[in-house]
Amino acid sequence: MPLTVSKKSAFEIFNKASLLAAEKNGADLYLSAPGFPASGKSYLTLEPDKEYLVTEQTTRDDLTNFAFADDKPTFGYLTYNYGKLINGLKLKNSTSFPLGHLKKYRIVIEYDPESQSVDFNSTEAGNLWYDLTEKIALADKPENRIELSDISVSVSREEYIEKVRRTINYIREGYIYQLNLSIKYDVHLIDSGAYAVFAQLWQNYPAPFYAYLKSDKYQILSTSPERFLAVKDGRVLSQPIKGTLAFSQYYPEMKKILTDSPKESAELSMIIDMVRNDISRNCRVRSVEVSRHKSVFTVDELLQMYSDIKGQLAEKATVIDLLIDAFPGASITGCPKLKAMELIDEIEPHERDVYCGSFFIIKDHKNMESSVAIRTGYYNIRDNRLSFFAGSGIVADSKPEAEYSETMAKAEKFINLGRL
Amino acid sequence: MELFLIDNFDSFTYNLAHLLSNVLKCNPRVVSYSEFRGEHLNGCEAVVISPGPGKPCEYPKYEILRDCDRPILGICLGMQILNELYDGSTDVLDDCVHGKTDEIEMEGRKFTVARYHSLFVSKVASNFQVVSQNRQGIPMAIRHINKPIVGFQFHPESFMTSEGQYFIDYAFNCFKKISV
Repeated sequence: MPLTVSKKSAFEIFNKASLLAAEKNGADLYLSAPGFPASGKSYLTLEPDKEYLVTEQTTRDDLTNFAFADDKPTFGYLTYNYGKLINGLKLKNSTSFPLGHLKKYRIVIEYDPESQSVDFNSTEAGNLWYDLTEKIALADKPENRIELSDISVSVSREEYIEKVRRTINYIREGYIYQLNLSIKYDVHLIDSGAYAVFAQLWQNYPAPFYAYLKSDKYQILSTSPERFLAVKDGRVLSQPIKGTLAFSQYYPEMKKILTDSPKESAELSMIIDMVRNDISRNCRVRSVEVSRHKSVFTVDELLQMYSDIKGQLAEKATVIDLLIDAFPGASITGCPKLKAMELIDEIEPHERDVYCGSFFIIKDHKNMESSVAIRTGYYNIRDNRLSFFAGSGIVADSKPEAEYSETMAKAEKFINLGRL
Repeated sequence: MELFLIDNFDSFTYNLAHLLSNVLKCNPRVVSYSEFRGEHLNGCEAVVISPGPGKPCEYPKYEILRDCDRPILGICLGMQILNELYDGSTDVLDDCVHGKTDEIEMEGRKFTVARYHSLFVSKVASNFQVVSQNRQGIPMAIRHINKPIVGFQFHPESFMTSEGQYFIDYAFNCFKKISV
């Protein structure tokens, strides 16, 4: 039952209601900020009535059986760690982070930016919506002061530079063309929880693939700008991001600096060929094509380059086949994928957990939206520690210092949490 | 046609599979290097060796192809493997090229091709001829002089290669001429 609210404020109301429901009712959110090429629907979800926690034994069939057992949409995530397992790698540390989590909710409130309307899956969802909209009028402006302490990193600046050099050696020796190298950051949150962090990031750093959900003892916060695989009635679209230019003040010529850079262009081209490969396993022959090559958009004070890769899902394939066979995303492993993942395991001291995994909304066999879980972290409810990650793609002509700066620029919105 | 594509743990194999399927109108059977056995060659009409990480010597199983009379196409690492099966050798490029294009000439025509390689054919096997080389003299396409074997250093399956189909046609036309 769709409800059209005043066009100008529809998203604003949905936005406020979502934050309120997350703070007061423990809602999970899947939010897409408007104004980006990949912007889409947003979801306020509550009270999962079916859940599936992914384990080392979970197979494609298990995921398929859960998702397609009924007509209800499946929301959730798979971690990079699960991606390691399905690609034949082992988990190195004993990580307590779940490998993935699928949920079907009793209450789903959906915001569609095209019609600027709100839709409910039940009368109960409608009632909750009216309740929330009444409350947001009365709600105080949330107190969002965040204080961080005890920042620690998995890789120091010196170690990072050594790791980039080691990566470049592997590239020169012919083992890989590109490797995505990341750093894990851990901070202690004083007197505030995950909600305050999420609200502050969402309000200050809008992006098309935000997710906020509870999973085991973790509250996950994803603020990703990157689409992994969208499938609409079998039409597949992937939009990998590669090529970054950080700026403090925007001027129009910067776009050309990014698209003309041979290094950044090559980084993107490699990943495009990989994504073509990864979706070709489940797409029809002659259907896979590249368009809008080297498009640029702005997010988090970064210019980001991307391209569209489209295909037509093969008749027998489902969105889960597509997701699993392309998982984890090409843009966050490196190329070729298996060798790059093996080397990431050797070079990075931390497990990536949910970082570089994927969040998704699976509607049916031929419809799905999903993100690459970059700019993502999690809050451990038991010890008040927030972990987040950032990384960059290393290629043969990478400069170690420049890659370190790029990584720090991507982590900045988390590191700056206490300063806003 | 029964076509056999051996995947060396690469991330472009299915691009190649789609290109082959598009040109040859048959679906290649993709088998990973780790599962590849000599018996696989019995039923097949042609073998394609995919690109992949590392050096030819890290793929010793391809030794059995030396005495195989089936047509073989090798891409990138695949070409380097074929060259080393005979008496050619492979070396490290001074400046590796990954995800960039180059201009080459073949059969009197110019082509834009995608390159992804750190290693190159530094000595062409004595019973091979260079069909195309780039401006720096790096072999980009080679073929055996009297066996149906063709190799491409560049990637016909990349979206950056302007006429990928041409190169598959070229290889399979060579195979026809030699087997006649």
